[in-house]
Amino acid sequence: MAATDDVADLAPDERAALEALLFRMADDEFVLAERYTEWQVRAPTLESDLALANIAQDELGHARLWYDALQGLGYSEPELVWERNPADFRHSILVELPFTGGDWADPIVRSYLYDEAEHLRLQALEDAPVRALADPIGKVQREEEYHREHAQSWLERLCDDAEGREAVEAAVGRLFGPALTLFVPGEHEATVERMGLRSESLADQREQWLDVVVPFLGSLGVEVPFGPEEDVDDLLPERVGRDGNHTDDWPALHEELTRTYRELGRSDARRLRGERRE
Amino acid sequence: MRYEVFRQDKPGAYHTHCGDVHAPDREMALLFAQIQHGRRMQTNSLWVVPKEEIGEVDTDEAAFGGTTDKAYRWATTYNVDASFAEEIEASEREQAAEERKRGSDD
Repeated sequence: MAATDDVADLAPDERAALEALLFRMADDEFVLAERYTEWQVRAPTLESDLALANIAQDELGHARLWYDALQGLGYSEPELVWERNPADFRHSILVELPFTGGDWADPIVRSYLYDEAEHLRLQALEDAPVRALADPIGKVQREEEYHREHAQSWLERLCDDAEGREAVEAAVGRLFGPALTLFVPGEHEATVERMGLRSESLADQREQWLDVVVPFLGSLGVEVPFGPEEDVDDLLPERVGRDGNHTDDWPALHEELTRTYRELGRSDARRLRGERRE
Repeated sequence: MRYEVFRQDKPGAYHTHCGDVHAPDREMALLFAQIQHGRRMQTNSLWVVPKEEIGEVDTDEAAFGGTTDKAYRWATTYNVDASFAEEIEASEREQAAEERKRGSDD
């Protein structure tokens, strides 16, 4: 496919594929940020609290970028977020699962598994033949570097003693299967592939991700929940999120994050964000 | 462990003390300092320094500038037209301001 900066040139099925790709990314970032903010004032120290809150703000900024791209395709903000049916969200279930109360290893492991996958996903889009996809990548990657360094640094330190390593291993055991759903294809995958939007397929990205995270965790003395002879696909949960089939935790979280919007009514929500009334 | 943080806003400028950060080691201190002290202000570089590595001497122990009148060493004592060099003018202005401060202390 030749490079295009005008999405009007796209055939209807290509446009649907581009939208699907944008929704996966925007929803992942948006829902993960929402979960991270639950740690506000609860992280182990003031510094770690601020760092995670800042990462959440970064992810919201990235969600905003991809939702903006969707607005460029004709969606309005209420349609994208506030009034969208929870079953139409396409994020991976990794980002919607509630945290295990008070277990700091959980957000750190989750962030590590997510950000390594995010790094590969962005890399594969760097040369996408659609500018709305390729243009923001550099900016996003620079912030993601901090996220990866943050997660890796924390993992190294948590694994310094037996108690911390056990907490990390338990979180890896819980979250590894859900993290695999990051790479599950959606309904328009064949068109995405045909258009050459990604330079690496989801299956290849997953292989690369496994080649990074398994040895890194191993170097910290943390075992992944599958043996060398076992098929990692056996860990894939029944609900993956990518097809709109989410865990029961998602509708509850969606209800919570849209509550203020509903209570205020649309015109007040606009006023609070400093937007002009229509 | 407490680290003191120094921020430089642009290349070539001084690193100025801007606060502290608690971290278990230097690597984490650098990560946390980026968020706490480099996020809102224009920042080109940050230094983090373990608090106990900083040597200090204060007015309890030292008489800064000596105790007798040494006004002759102040740049403002000499009547020089410094208009040819911006930095000398600036330095004289600084010195004059310092003198006024000293004056009010007495």
